[in-house]
Amino acid sequence: MSFLQITDLHVSVEGKEILKGIDLSLDMGRTAIIFGPNGSGKSTLMGAILGLPGYEITQGSITFKDHDISRLSVDERSRLGIGLSFQYPPSIKGVRLRTLLQTLNRHTPEKIAEYAQLLNLTGYLDRDINVGFSGGERKRSEVLQLMIQMPDLLLLDEPESGVDIENISVIAEGLRIILEKDQPISKRKRSAIIITHTGFILDYIKADIAFVIMNGHVLGCGAPGEIFEEIRRDGYNKCSSCFAEKFCEENKGAL
Amino acid sequence: MNTVQIDTGRLTDIGYDSCIASCGNFMVLDHTVMESRCHIEGLVVLPLKQAFDAYPHVREKLFFNVVSRETSETTLQAAGMEPVGYYVFVEPGVRIEEPLQAAFLFGETGSRQFIHNIIELGEGAELNIVNGCTTATHGRSGTHVGITETYLGKNAHLGYTMIHNWGHAMEVFPVGAVSVGEGARYISNYVGMTEVRKIVTNPIAHVASGGSARFYSVIFSKGNSYFDTGARVILKGENASGEIISRVVSEGGTVVSRQLLSGEQAGTFGHMECSGLLLNENGVIHSIPELKGAHPDINLAHEAAVGKISREELSYLMTRGLTEEQARSLIIRGFLDIKIEGLPEKVQSFMNEIINRSVEGSI
Repeated sequence: MSFLQITDLHVSVEGKEILKGIDLSLDMGRTAIIFGPNGSGKSTLMGAILGLPGYEITQGSITFKDHDISRLSVDERSRLGIGLSFQYPPSIKGVRLRTLLQTLNRHTPEKIAEYAQLLNLTGYLDRDINVGFSGGERKRSEVLQLMIQMPDLLLLDEPESGVDIENISVIAEGLRIILEKDQPISKRKRSAIIITHTGFILDYIKADIAFVIMNGHVLGCGAPGEIFEEIRRDGYNKCSSCFAEKFCEENKGAL
Repeated sequence: MNTVQIDTGRLTDIGYDSCIASCGNFMVLDHTVMESRCHIEGLVVLPLKQAFDAYPHVREKLFFNVVSRETSETTLQAAGMEPVGYYVFVEPGVRIEEPLQAAFLFGETGSRQFIHNIIELGEGAELNIVNGCTTATHGRSGTHVGITETYLGKNAHLGYTMIHNWGHAMEVFPVGAVSVGEGARYISNYVGMTEVRKIVTNPIAHVASGGSARFYSVIFSKGNSYFDTGARVILKGENASGEIISRVVSEGGTVVSRQLLSGEQAGTFGHMECSGLLLNENGVIHSIPELKGAHPDINLAHEAAVGKISREELSYLMTRGLTEEQARSLIIRGFLDIKIEGLPEKVQSFMNEIINRSVEGSI
């Protein structure tokens, strides 16, 4: 059984079916990219994996670390080791960023300070979560929260959108720490699924495998660089030529 | 001889602890002064009746001056009683860091307690007072009337924190008025976190040129509580300023929250923020913010909102692994966490502790 195994997953949002039978698996220590046009179901897939409200699983299953998590609540899934960097994180007036981080893990005040410094967020720790933060600051705050949370499966929904070039490397550095990118792949314990439109993040975080989603289905998978190039050159409709099942199997991700 | 047993835990709940460093202590049980101590030169803490003898101007000029006898039926009744309460005076230029602790305990079920306090700060003096009011043991019923008249000299600074921890059968009528001198600063903090039958209070501050009055209140309404609370800041001198911030959480009962900012002279400015959070369908929050301008060169503004905890915020926190209860508690505590500039860390952390304890006990 894979680290993450998604089988025949159908998901509806407000009564409309968005995912129409997704099959996807990912092994421990691997980083996968998901490509797909707007509205193809990428964010829905992340919402369904984490169990966010509004994403109704109507058929199929999601298995994570040998647990069927399809019916678990969002906090139960989180405590099993799934974490999300939101594309549009909300503001929470009154709750300071430091308070949340301390609540997540009371034993690491030094780590909080260290990671906040890494992400240029030291001055933001005593501000209310995301209140008055720029788009880039919100994304850095997301990564800081994930660094304290240290999930085993990282879901990153457009982690670099709204972030200036200078800070993309800062965000990537934080994500590399979570994903133990300095370790050989066989020793890494954490996996990630990344949604990206621009592909900028791929310059900093090496992905092992890429999936393409269109109209609620996984079209195929293959080498991230090749698929990204082909999409850039010919659009999504012609990207099937670079799918490589053998590559996917070797890189521990599969349809 | 008063034979009521005092539950010391209830004293701790309102911040009264003789062992904690303070500049003075004052405690009343029903109508008896149990403790009146002062540890610092330049500070006077006396039972009001003694102060009348020692300092004649207290009776002649400060007693029922900024609060009128005719304010209400209860003040008229109080005027007919022998005054029990404190007189606190800080000499000009004396700045006191440690807070003064005061406690007003209600012990005799079915009775009416009348308290009258007078605070006077000389020019440039500074003081913080933490007042706590509670029933001596749980379950007492009765009426508490508390009059507080405050006079701040030029450039004086007073932080006045009031913690209410009444029993659910009490009716409470605090009456407060403050004369804020030129350039003086007055900060009032009110914390009401327990179920109470009725609390009616609407203190007023008259602010002279360059002075400021700020009122912060935090109320957690439970059961069948009825709060009719508020604050009025009358900006009487040029460049006087005011701020009123009110946070109300309700899981039952009714809270009427009235605020008034009135600018009467050039350059006066003020800000008001009234926020209410309804945790269920059992409670009512009625927020009434009022602004009054009597000069074209003023700047007064308010924001008010009453609503529920956002589902999106809850889910967001739960994606970090918090249970729904933990997430709700974090949001409520955050909502009630007013950051008050100029309040000593000790008083601020004590207030936070009371608020946290109350929220944890409710959720």
